[in-house]
Amino acid sequence: MKFLFVNDLARFARSTYTIAKYVEIGRELGHEIAVFGEQHPEVRLPHSLDVKKFDFALFVVHIPSDFPDLPYLARLLDEIPKERRVIIDCLGRFNDTVRVERDFNHLEKLDGHQDREWVEGFQAVSDLILQPTPRPLRSDVRPFLFHAFDPAAVLRSYQSPQEAARVWAGSNGNAKRYGLVYVGNNWQRWTQMRPFLENLEPLREEIGPMLIAGWDWDRRPQWDIELGLHAADVDRALLARVGVETQEAVPFDTVTPLMSQARFSPIFHRPLFNHLSLVTNRTFETFCADTIPLLMLPEDVVDSIYGADARPLVPCDDVAGRLKDMLRRPEFYWEAVMRTRAHLAQHHSFQQRFKELTSILADEERAGVVTTDNRTHGRS
Amino acid sequence: MKILLVMERRVNAGSIQAAANYVRVGAEMGHEIAVYGRSDPAFPHLRCSIDVERFDYVLFIVESRLDWMTGLNLSRIVVRVPRSRRAVLDADGMYNRVVVVNGYDRNHPSERDRERWLGFYDELGDRVLQPTPEPLESRVSPLLFYGYDPASRVAGNGDGAKRFDIVHVGHNWWRWQEVGNHLLPSIERLRSRIGKIGFLGLWWDATPPWAARLGLEAAFQLDLERLRRLDIEVHPPVPYLEVIPAMSMGRINLMTQRPLLRHLGLTTSKYFEIFCADTIPLLMLTASEAERVYGAAGRELALDGNLDQKLIDVLDRPAVYQELVEEVRGHLLAHHSYRRRVQELVSALAD
Repeated sequence: MKFLFVNDLARFARSTYTIAKYVEIGRELGHEIAVFGEQHPEVRLPHSLDVKKFDFALFVVHIPSDFPDLPYLARLLDEIPKERRVIIDCLGRFNDTVRVERDFNHLEKLDGHQDREWVEGFQAVSDLILQPTPRPLRSDVRPFLFHAFDPAAVLRSYQSPQEAARVWAGSNGNAKRYGLVYVGNNWQRWTQMRPFLENLEPLREEIGPMLIAGWDWDRRPQWDIELGLHAADVDRALLARVGVETQEAVPFDTVTPLMSQARFSPIFHRPLFNHLSLVTNRTFETFCADTIPLLMLPEDVVDSIYGADARPLVPCDDVAGRLKDMLRRPEFYWEAVMRTRAHLAQHHSFQQRFKELTSILADEERAGVVTTDNRTHGRS
Repeated sequence: MKILLVMERRVNAGSIQAAANYVRVGAEMGHEIAVYGRSDPAFPHLRCSIDVERFDYVLFIVESRLDWMTGLNLSRIVVRVPRSRRAVLDADGMYNRVVVVNGYDRNHPSERDRERWLGFYDELGDRVLQPTPEPLESRVSPLLFYGYDPASRVAGNGDGAKRFDIVHVGHNWWRWQEVGNHLLPSIERLRSRIGKIGFLGLWWDATPPWAARLGLEAAFQLDLERLRRLDIEVHPPVPYLEVIPAMSMGRINLMTQRPLLRHLGLTTSKYFEIFCADTIPLLMLTASEAERVYGAAGRELALDGNLDQKLIDVLDRPAVYQELVEEVRGHLLAHHSYRRRVQELVSALAD
């Protein structure tokens, strides 16, 4: 099939990693994949404005600008019929307004859009809305996890947990630079990051240097203060006390190597995502890094995505205790990592996602919601 | 007729004053006119709506930026409102060839930028309207749009006492060439004979830090030290509802316009609201430009090469100029009232 992704590609954020993987693996599977628009100056993915040659336009939506401006928008709406436009709603925008702690799916004072504008905007563009959650709240949304795991992208493979643990512990003379690395922007993370770091504080010597890479970890940005959001809170004193370095965001294609420089890499989902069971690229990508992922996630999310073998990677309320145990007997935990990778490869590969997507499109075509007949055109 | 105005709602800039007049006067005339968005206490009495399908026509009011219109909202509007029922008011003359005035002000930095705007407009609506009697492009129709609202007139308190002798209300946006080369030299010569002078608006105190990044240093050019030397007070902008009262703080109000807008003959809210204030407007226009909008009396209020003489004459003989101002108000009421503008808008959309 020929898929055209529509997205405001960002080198340092959102779903660019996942889209790049769809391009790469889709090509291997015989699909033709491109990103709508003129060539992005920094993201070297195939782009196209020739919308008529594609079977489906997949709008990957995080923020308002993921819908292109005119005149490009008109080209999409005029030349690809509504039945061949699909929206992948990565942030649960296509819901009533949800507030979880200080997190939200709509906030007019932040982006100028009311809840109704999101819902009606989506409905104007497509009748098929997909969300990367196993449990959408709305009956007119279909679950499609979208993000996925690429076993070929695992940075370093091991024959056994013992080998992994040996390398990981640095017993071959190649110790890792960091004890812990977290890669993610400071947006709706602090309510989880703070207790996590507080738990680690007594263990800072055993863990070693820690790094957080992403936007706005050096201080709470002025716009967050002015809007009174508390969505990018950070406590520099705590970071200093725990010995955490911060650095700016890294490009999407360097995240896995950076995480691989650490013995541990936590996975957090923002409160809204935990509430809606939304997954992200980092949900899967972290398992490609040469690190032990720490699953700071609700147990039902862990069970449904990673399988039962991942349970040891969930520190629950005793982060320090679990890390101590990981340091004491890493083989046990590397076995969990390797089994989880196998689970992800079986159930959550990009190949699997293509099957799921084409199956959804076939279902919807039978129901008359979408059509693969690209002879019909017109804005509707 | 039901008309939805889609615009960037700025409380202290742009076309919000005009939109508020369209809403109010339109209702008096039996039309339902609203501004896109949620009701907001910053815009009291402004009817707002996002029910795009309830309206017969959508008019996009576009100034010098496009980024306030997101793809999300555009998707919703362009799918739900047919193109034949969408029109664009091109307030800043972007729908033109690349125009550079005196090597200074311009509508587009490049041909590529112009193409982007024209492509945007061509999809945004069937009709492009400009607030000028004589558009340069054949695809553009004239619609003066901005008007005079006699109900907004501020009456004098009778004692003639004013906080300032001279007031300028407006942002430092493509103004410095005119202010620095013409107005300030005159003030330098006359400073001892003029009382307090106040400039109200953005960017008279500092150039915005992002100007250079956007290649807009010229638009925000400023010599703050020169303003200080001339004892010109600089004050922040006022919300649109306070513009006319703020103008009324001065015995004289100076009206400047962007060189580009003058070159293209584009009118703005300022042309008309300054005559609602209790003040004597002096217009930094040529006499013929002033006459075109204000009638014959307007020529006498134009600062057309005679700044020193006119400023002093107005301060010395205000009664003479008050009569001219009244004459202009009569002209504006006859030719440029918002009742007339609403009729013109309804006709332009239905045409």
